[in-house]
Amino acid sequence: MISCAFVSVVDDDESVRESLPDLLRALGYAVRVYSSAEDFLDSEQVQNTQCLILDVLLHGMRGPELIRRLAARSVAVPIIYITAHADEELRARLLREGAVACLFKPFSDTALITALHSAIQVGGLN
Amino acid sequence: MVFADSPGYSAASAAEHSGNAGVACALGQWLSATAAFTWQPASNDFSASAQLSEILGLKSSERPKFTTLLSRVHPEDVAAFRARLAHPGAGDITYELRLLLPDRTIRLVRVVWRATSDAADREIQGAIQDVTQLRECEAALAQARSDLAYAARVMSLGALSASIAHEIKQPLSGIITNAGTCLRMLAADPPDFAGARETARRTLRDGNRASAVITRLRALFTQKTVSGERVDLNEVAQEAITLALGDLHHRQITVRTQLSEELAPLRADRIQLHQVILNLILNAADAMADIEDHPRQLLICTQPAGPDRVQLSVVDTGTGLPAPETRLFEPFYTTKSDGMGIGLSISRAIIESHGGRLWASANQGPGATFCFCIPCNPRNPVPAPAFDPALANSTAPARAGAALW
Repeated sequence: MISCAFVSVVDDDESVRESLPDLLRALGYAVRVYSSAEDFLDSEQVQNTQCLILDVLLHGMRGPELIRRLAARSVAVPIIYITAHADEELRARLLREGAVACLFKPFSDTALITALHSAIQVGGLN
Repeated sequence: MVFADSPGYSAASAAEHSGNAGVACALGQWLSATAAFTWQPASNDFSASAQLSEILGLKSSERPKFTTLLSRVHPEDVAAFRARLAHPGAGDITYELRLLLPDRTIRLVRVVWRATSDAADREIQGAIQDVTQLRECEAALAQARSDLAYAARVMSLGALSASIAHEIKQPLSGIITNAGTCLRMLAADPPDFAGARETARRTLRDGNRASAVITRLRALFTQKTVSGERVDLNEVAQEAITLALGDLHHRQITVRTQLSEELAPLRADRIQLHQVILNLILNAADAMADIEDHPRQLLICTQPAGPDRVQLSVVDTGTGLPAPETRLFEPFYTTKSDGMGIGLSISRAIIESHGGRLWASANQGPGATFCFCIPCNPRNPVPAPAFDPALANSTAPARAGAALW
């Protein structure tokens, strides 16, 4: 496992914001959580983020808009989408658009670990 | 003139009137597909405007006699038409009649006439209008309205399921992540007991959050029943069947009804009863989806159940009840691959909030029967039982493939 890779989580659901960081820390990652895309963009961790775990249906700024803003700042961060809408078409589209993974909530920790490994690998290649 | 070349509008039809008024009159008759006529029964003297040839499917040069008109009346309507001719009535009389043309097409015409009262020297003056297209449009409109209402109802069920699924999956996601974290913290060397305790505590809280969603959901379906309107159960059942009929035909399901005429009216929430009946019908239809070796039949019956209760049953010839059938009504219990397992749970909550009972039983032959029974005047409606989180914990969504939402 690659230790101390830096992961940012953006989700407007409190349960996820509380539970996911603990699991990520237990897995050996450094984590920051944000409740909105705006908060993440305003933070100082954008450049440090090696993997972004992003809820698809955020209130306020949506995922695609966040990615556009990141691109404008020349930030190419691997993205793992998470969503409570089990929509296969959506997943296929997000993967086509370059997401590393799209996990349907509730997802298992093994699914998350696999996705994180791919993300860190993609980030390393970049 | 533009209309001069149009079928059915000819110089002949204009020629029977004189001058511009005559042209306008013929044009008006052609546009409204109406023919004027007079008939004297005693002499059988019959005259009609040119438009009648068009309505009866004759060439425009052919002038119909009264017998031609009579021969074109649909065999099933001839007796009624003859009875009207014998007793043409007083004042303006309007009725509709079917015509059967030589090419087997059926036309619906509206007849308006007025007869002189002197029977010996009687004359009937009237008009015949072809309303086939009008009635077809009306039928198409009614069908479209019914399809729309059905789509809206089914969509509201679908949208409801999706939003409930979303609301439940959020805390569920927290529960599963916390449990995973908790195990990892306990397995660490040395174990992180404080961290594990914290994640276990959060797991509990998320579990309660998920159950609160269900409680709110039940409240949503049970809050309005106190101010029930007067409802005829047969009427509501008919409406629900009408809404589902197109879908049922499409799924090759035959529908029969046995609606008792001795039902007392009840006070209930019409929309909620719609929802329950429609849910039972759609469940039955789903349960018959894979049936190939015997007919797919749906029977909907109503009957009085004692002096002040009414009962409705939905009988299908589907795959029958899963075992154990008592779990059918538990939230999130489903045997469908795409089901949420909430339809019957909500249906039961609705019926119980009306002071009634909803249950299922296996048929003697193939299939199952779902019944509900509600009092006509629930003085003290029985509140729906409070949601029991312990029950929900024991009922993870089952996934197989048969009967329920």
